[in-house]
Amino acid sequence: MRYVLGGGLAWFLAMFQASSVAQVHVLGVTPNLLLVMLVCWLVVRGLDDVLPMVAVAGITTGFVALETPGVALLALLIPIVLLGVVRELHVVHSELLLVAAMVLVASVLYEGVMLLGAMATGGVLDPLGGLTDAVAPAALVNLALMPPVYFVMRFARPDARRRPSYLL
Amino acid sequence: MTARTFVWTGFLAILAFALMAASRFTLLDPVHNLTLDVTSPVQSLLSDSTRPIADWVNNITDARGLSQENKRLRAENERLTTELSLAREDSAELQALKDLQAIQQQFPDDTFLETSIVARDSSNTGAIVAISRGRSDGVREGMIVVTEGRSLVGTVSKAFDDYAWVRLITDPKSAVSAMVQESRAEGVVAGDYGGGLTMEFVGQGAAVKEGDFVVTSGVGGGYPPGIVIGRIARVRKTEQDLFQKVDVDHLASLSALERALVLMSFEPKGYDRP
Repeated sequence: MRYVLGGGLAWFLAMFQASSVAQVHVLGVTPNLLLVMLVCWLVVRGLDDVLPMVAVAGITTGFVALETPGVALLALLIPIVLLGVVRELHVVHSELLLVAAMVLVASVLYEGVMLLGAMATGGVLDPLGGLTDAVAPAALVNLALMPPVYFVMRFARPDARRRPSYLL
Repeated sequence: MTARTFVWTGFLAILAFALMAASRFTLLDPVHNLTLDVTSPVQSLLSDSTRPIADWVNNITDARGLSQENKRLRAENERLTTELSLAREDSAELQALKDLQAIQQQFPDDTFLETSIVARDSSNTGAIVAISRGRSDGVREGMIVVTEGRSLVGTVSKAFDDYAWVRLITDPKSAVSAMVQESRAEGVVAGDYGGGLTMEFVGQGAAVKEGDFVVTSGVGGGYPPGIVIGRIARVRKTEQDLFQKVDVDHLASLSALERALVLMSFEPKGYDRP
């Protein structure tokens, strides 16, 4: 049941990202609410829960957000899986710091894959321009978007009110 | 990583590459068309209902001022500069014309198909929009799309039965043969990852200056000559470089575009499917 709910949420988020969030431009880029929510979900619930959501979100984004199907899925899959492995290492004890670092890294990886995809399929070969105009601003904007998204998810977890681990 | 996670990851990676391959061989075109059929009402609803919030956020984060005013001024600017550009192109004939009729007379034999924007690319590394016309309306890949003020928007990159994708001129994969209207200096206007336009391959000796108009040159047959692209915002010239680099401000407000026109009467030459 939780996978069905997760899949439904991922589908709605992908639709919302493509139609509503795409209208917002901060620092010249569009925030990626979908990616931020998936990373927060990964930190709160773990890789097993988030992979089916990645599948639904990646495929939906590929078709509704006018991107090449498969590229968005790959761009979501790479950071989520890598960061899922990092999460299991328990190297950072503060969950808030962990999720902030993961959103930053995930954004760089996601935009990096999209940039490589664009350059590999005929886009202008300007990696420095891509980094300064798309990747870096997107990482900063997503990081700014993280706190409210994380706290909503954090407090939606049943035991969160009793033991807020971000204070550890 | 559990075995289950490992299997999921492998499956999704294979699926991603399979989808890319299927897309390359146009196997997914019917799925794209069906998806837009099903989701465009939902997208329109979501987009319309959240537009005030998006505008509010954009206004807060937009240091240059209110985006609505900016949008209105850009549209006004586009209309006026297009009229001015066209008047310069053939001043003897066009000086007498004072309103929109002047623009229409520039394309006396051309036919346009009106369309609306139904979806946008939400990535930060591309600039594509979906329009509400497709193969069933006669839209073909390579066709030119312009604004209602007749400045260049982009090219149809994929045509489905009822919809089509338009690659905007600001997309990093877009390259348009262009020339500076005043000096006739030729170059290529290309998009970049920041949503801007740069005119490249402009010779060091070419006379170009800020404020000059940039129009399509027609070289290569992909675009008809004389369509306004934008105005020169900045010229970057160093002794070491072979070419000048020219920043171009496009006239149309492409990020807020809601309607466009497909130029049906122009047949692009040598267009290969991307």
